Amino acid sequence: MTVVLQASHLMKQYPGVKALDDVDFSLNSGEVRALLGKNGAGKSTLVKILSGAVTPDQGSIAVDGREVTIKSPQDSFAQGISTVYQEMSLVPGLTVAENILLGRWPLSKRFGVSFIARKEIVQQAAEALSQLEVDIDLNQLASRLNVAQQQLVEIAKAISFDPRVMILDEPSSALPSEEVDTLHRVVRRLAEQGRAIIYVTHRLQEIPKVADSVTVLRDGRTIGTIPVQEATPERITQMMIGSDWKRTEWQRDAELGPVRLSVRNLNSKGLLRDVSLELRGGEVLGLAGLLGSGRTELLRAIFGLDPIDSGEILVDGTPQLKPNPISMKATGIGLTPEDRKKQGLVLVFPVEDNLTLASLHRVSSMGVLNPGKEKVLAETMVDNLAIKTARLDVKTRTLSGGNQQKVVIGNWLNTLPQVLMMDEPTRGIDIQAKEQIFALVRDLARQGLAVLFVSSEIEEVLDVADRILVMNQGRITHSRQHDEVDLEQLMALVMEEYTE
Amino acid sequence: MTSAVQSSSPTLRDRTSDLLARSGLLIALLLLFLALALFAPNFLTSRNLLNVLRAVAFNGIIACGMTFMIIAGDIDVSVGSAVAWASALLGVLAIQHGWPLGLAVIFVLVQGALIHAGAGYIRVRWAVPAFVVTLALFMALRGAARLITNAFPITPFPDSFNFWGGGYIFGIIPVPVVIMLAVFVLFHFISVRTVYGRSVYAVGGNEESARLSGISVWRTRITTFALLGFLSAFSGIILSSRIMSGSSNIAVGLEFDVIAAVIIGGTSLAGGEGTIFGTFLGVLFIGLLSNGMVLMGINPFAQEVIRGLIILVAVLISVARTRK
Ligand SMILES: Nc1ncnc2c1ncn2[C@@H]1O[C@H](COP(=O)(O)OP(=O)(O)OP(=O)(O)O)[C@@H](O)[C@H]1O
Ligand SMILES: [Mg+2]
Repeated sequence: MTVVLQASHLMKQYPGVKALDDVDFSLNSGEVRALLGKNGAGKSTLVKILSGAVTPDQGSIAVDGREVTIKSPQDSFAQGISTVYQEMSLVPGLTVAENILLGRWPLSKRFGVSFIARKEIVQQAAEALSQLEVDIDLNQLASRLNVAQQQLVEIAKAISFDPRVMILDEPSSALPSEEVDTLHRVVRRLAEQGRAIIYVTHRLQEIPKVADSVTVLRDGRTIGTIPVQEATPERITQMMIGSDWKRTEWQRDAELGPVRLSVRNLNSKGLLRDVSLELRGGEVLGLAGLLGSGRTELLRAIFGLDPIDSGEILVDGTPQLKPNPISMKATGIGLTPEDRKKQGLVLVFPVEDNLTLASLHRVSSMGVLNPGKEKVLAETMVDNLAIKTARLDVKTRTLSGGNQQKVVIGNWLNTLPQVLMMDEPTRGIDIQAKEQIFALVRDLARQGLAVLFVSSEIEEVLDVADRILVMNQGRITHSRQHDEVDLEQLMALVMEEYTE
Repeated sequence: MTSAVQSSSPTLRDRTSDLLARSGLLIALLLLFLALALFAPNFLTSRNLLNVLRAVAFNGIIACGMTFMIIAGDIDVSVGSAVAWASALLGVLAIQHGWPLGLAVIFVLVQGALIHAGAGYIRVRWAVPAFVVTLALFMALRGAARLITNAFPITPFPDSFNFWGGGYIFGIIPVPVVIMLAVFVLFHFISVRTVYGRSVYAVGGNEESARLSGISVWRTRITTFALLGFLSAFSGIILSSRIMSGSSNIAVGLEFDVIAAVIIGGTSLAGGEGTIFGTFLGVLFIGLLSNGMVLMGINPFAQEVIRGLIILVAVLISVARTRK
């Protein structure tokens, strides 16, 4: 084993935060290194420095023992480093295949003129995608992909560079379990070929499956690097958080109230088939299912974002004839969308404005805003959700990924919803903050909030939900109380072959 | 749990607090002022300076609405034609058809808002780019103005009407200047302190996120169009009062001065960012520049070239800043 990548004394200061404070990092060939730390610990900053997206204030980087300057992504590519960033960056107007080979499109010469060789593009892209064993239409526009598909395409793109060092920043956060398993296999295979891999994640349970060693960052400093054998969840959380940490215990003691939301025989373009459900006050209902099983589509249809062909949506017994976000919000329903960047946040807004985006009616009277009230709402959420931000008026795009996600949740909690639908609410959120959020949600449930949530982390669904609905090809195929199934049984229900 | 917010530095809600971004423009404005004071004859007299303010008032009023339009991610190239149409219509109604002047004024204001609201409706209903819709308006309104007046100025308005565009308060401050300042203050307030103002920023910053947060994108956009239509008609009425005729030939090319002022003022063409105060500085900048060049006796054609180049530089600075 030889050291391929060595970074020394990296420093990066942003206004109000030291994102990296004298960080050393070294990586061997054939090694998979998990990079861990709480939201805002500096993981993505380290990743971006190695990939040339951000230049450090101080420090040096050596590849194969030779010092190199990495000032741009091109420099990083030239060193054989390819990166999957935490925030998706596909070009929406290009096809999947064009995105995978972006900037490296094969050309063919005819009549002395170079043309883009479409066939070759599709061929080469198909090869890259086939390693991930997923089925995505290569000629589809990237703008039509959901978050999980975007993530897979990004990974395929990184693989197609044939890199010596591959950096994956939270590649699994948007993926359902079975895709994560495939990803682990791919990563292990690449490592066996002698490549070095950095793997950022918040999912502790995947570490033994994929990593050889673990590095933990806290507040911009390296806390330590340990072999995977020593990386018990207790040890890692201790390193991440600094003190001994006890899981926040929550109880499922909420009394079920009246039916808040009911959906009857909902059909929509073959994406949803005959879906019916009832959700009561105080109840936390989890939706489990495979990629494309219709979970997001169901939430969107209820919120009036996509048209429905037939069926009924009732809130507190009142049929919603033409549901849309405005009318649904008025009836006390909220939706935290899956794609924080495109659907959840105005990235150029100050954090404060994103935290009150959906509750302007609560902080104004007769159309005039009350800055004092706004500030109170924003500050409360920053505390309750432990949002790490230098100030309330910094642009939201400067927050770390996990902290941006918390802002999306805070925005909707601030509306004081009766029913909150959450699509992958914990994507990119660290374990401690996750517990905090679920404790908060549980607390609200005790006061009558009804929750309908989707998570591709099936353990999480089992952990948090009172009742679980399994979706398969647009239908609800099973309904179970949380204590009626264990993880294995639930997995089996999710994976079940389903035929008409 | 420790609070994650350090409350050491003040969190100014006010978007004008973004001083760093605007200080460049302030400095440029001061430099320009200094240069003109030194080199342009008769520049530094209160009469000349008040004249500058009066000259920019007509554009300034419209620039407020244009700022909202551009923050919302749209653009409107029809305001010059809307001004001419308002002026022509006022002349035809009040003079040729003998409507009471007050009624004619109200009618012109209302139709200005409505026509633009209609354009806004088309913009959102069929997702047509605002540029295209307002380009059509740009042609149609100018044509309509010439049609109803045969391209001749219509006179006379009653003498008392001259107060609004040509009068003075305390015998020295031009009335249009006072009106412009009032409009700026009002629009500043709307932009930082109202739900509608916040919605404009949200819709321009990320329309999808705004929609999913239950903000009415339609209402916001159509209101923005209507406000700009109203302000254009308003400006057209004051301009008619200044020249004491209803004319279809005024305000040619005005839209570009207005758009340039907004962009020089730091409003991002990408939407979501910008301030009314910045626009105020941008309007002053263009006004001072034009005035100074006239005073220095620069060839009028050369003036256009210089203005074009300066706007280009301003846009480049604005783009560089949004990249950061
Ligand atoms: N462009 C920026 N401007 C200002 N501050 C920034 C910027 N980028 C990152 N930061 C700050 O640097 C710190 C580290 O951020 P980073 O994105 O590296 O965290 P992370 O460990 O990746 O967190 P997460 O798990 O949430 O993704 C955060 O406090 C963040 O707010
Ligand atoms: Mg990160």
